[in-house]
Amino acid sequence: MKLKLICIAIVALMIFIVTLFIGPRLISPFGMTGIEKQILFSIRLPRVIISVLMGMALGASGAVLQGILRNPLADPYILGISSGAALVAAAGIITGVSFFGVFTIPVLAFTGALITGIFVGAMGWKRGGFWPDRLLLAGVGLGFLFSALLMLIMSLSSNEGLKRATLWIFGDLSIADWSLIPYGFIFIVVGLGISMFRSKALNSLILGDDLSHSLGFSPKKERFILFISVGLMTAASVSLGGMIGFIGLLVPHIGRFMIGSDSRILIPVSALGGGVLLCIADLIGKSVLSPMELPAGIITAILGAPYFLYILRKKDVLSF
Amino acid sequence: MNILDFDKVSFSYEKDRSFIRDLSLSMKNREFIGLLGANGSGKSTILKLASGILKSAQGKINLWGKEIDSYGHRDRAKLLSYLPQLLDVSIPFTVKEFVSMGQYPYDAKPELTVEDAIEMVGLTDYTKSFITNLSGGERRRVYIAMTLLQGAGLVLLDEPLANLDIKYQIELLRLLKELREKRDITVLMALHDINIASQFDRLLLIKEGRMLGSGTPHEILTKKMLNNAFDIDIEMQHEETGGIYIRY
Repeated sequence: MKLKLICIAIVALMIFIVTLFIGPRLISPFGMTGIEKQILFSIRLPRVIISVLMGMALGASGAVLQGILRNPLADPYILGISSGAALVAAAGIITGVSFFGVFTIPVLAFTGALITGIFVGAMGWKRGGFWPDRLLLAGVGLGFLFSALLMLIMSLSSNEGLKRATLWIFGDLSIADWSLIPYGFIFIVVGLGISMFRSKALNSLILGDDLSHSLGFSPKKERFILFISVGLMTAASVSLGGMIGFIGLLVPHIGRFMIGSDSRILIPVSALGGGVLLCIADLIGKSVLSPMELPAGIITAILGAPYFLYILRKKDVLSF
Repeated sequence: MNILDFDKVSFSYEKDRSFIRDLSLSMKNREFIGLLGANGSGKSTILKLASGILKSAQGKINLWGKEIDSYGHRDRAKLLSYLPQLLDVSIPFTVKEFVSMGQYPYDAKPELTVEDAIEMVGLTDYTKSFITNLSGGERRRVYIAMTLLQGAGLVLLDEPLANLDIKYQIELLRLLKELREKRDITVLMALHDINIASQFDRLLLIKEGRMLGSGTPHEILTKKMLNNAFDIDIEMQHEETGGIYIRY
């Protein structure tokens, strides 16, 4: 198992490095020109770092949420957090506000995500703890409302911001910038750290609250802590580059196929898998129709879904 | 010292409607006790109160002489393990991954290994199988292996024999009795099979959240007691060999 994990980490690192040098313009790591150095350090490196951070956050959040909600169909967007972020950010893009310069859209998205997360949490709270079904239904209900409001805003809008908002909603990494990285990094690393630190408790929650209690955990407290970690990671991810589909739902299942369901290993593997997939998807999205860019979220789904369907057919690993 | 004490415990799921009323019971080390009663009589609620999942509205519940809520979660898990009646899991853990969770309350590896626990329930050939692909009875044996690995002195089991065929019912009862001899465990088990009930040291007969009777199987498995507890007219046949059978 350790060897498998080391291999996955090495392959992931190699892919991250390779994606820096290939793209619409191939860069040789040996003997770079001044312009190539500028492209590498000012454009590609922050973009790769952001796609890795976002992919890691989504992959890990999916693994955690499927556990705390005891639902293999859960993903980070099911709690409505991303719909709240998208609504506020799209409204900002369309109206053209720029309170915080380059940070305006990320700040708006993070605020929308945070408010939605708190609201969903409050709705899912009963008798001193989160109830998985209540959280899920509150998230789905709020998600529908926000999606409808988003469509309403977009259908009433006719300005140039509309296309940008549409791109952003499907995952737009073209706004990647060094200045965004420290903020996203802090929230995602803290969220990932919390969920890895509480991974034994997450395993116990998958068995149900009564067994979690019997194994020496407080299921209400653990679910609350893990919900906070998912909220931080999802909000940070959406604010860095919009909504990326597929990763949060299916990467944890691919991880289970590769290394099993133990959350202590599944969370880091899902994080690495999410990072790798988004990195590759972004590379393809910006290269195939260059200079036009395709949203990374569309590529992740086109790439990942057939592979997922293949393993679904080949391996009897899923229970649904 | 008693392992578990209920002192006039009351509990209600709804306001103004007591479900468990003034229940007192005590368990001594190495006792093998069956909790018998009709559906909805309160057997599962008593086990959840004993495990600390539910909090009593009135009365005290002591574990090894100390109030159950005074223990930290991990410390309590080293003394007491509870296996609920409804077992469902939708994430495909392998049998080994699942059973190894029994080690969670401990920092160091317990005496019993994961492989030993799996072998005890006869699932060695399924170690790498996904629990989601096992039959109901096999899954229950996986849960029991995890409970055994947890190694607590008091084991609370809610209908653990459900979905098990007669071979595994008998093997589980034998295994628990063997563990009592080797590891001094105390067992409180909810059940509703009266034929199995004769295998216990002591039976607690529950009706509508109250204790109807406590005693040996010969004292409890009588026509009068059971007709009262289950609201049905049945005959009991006690044989000289010790067997007790139900006739209807």
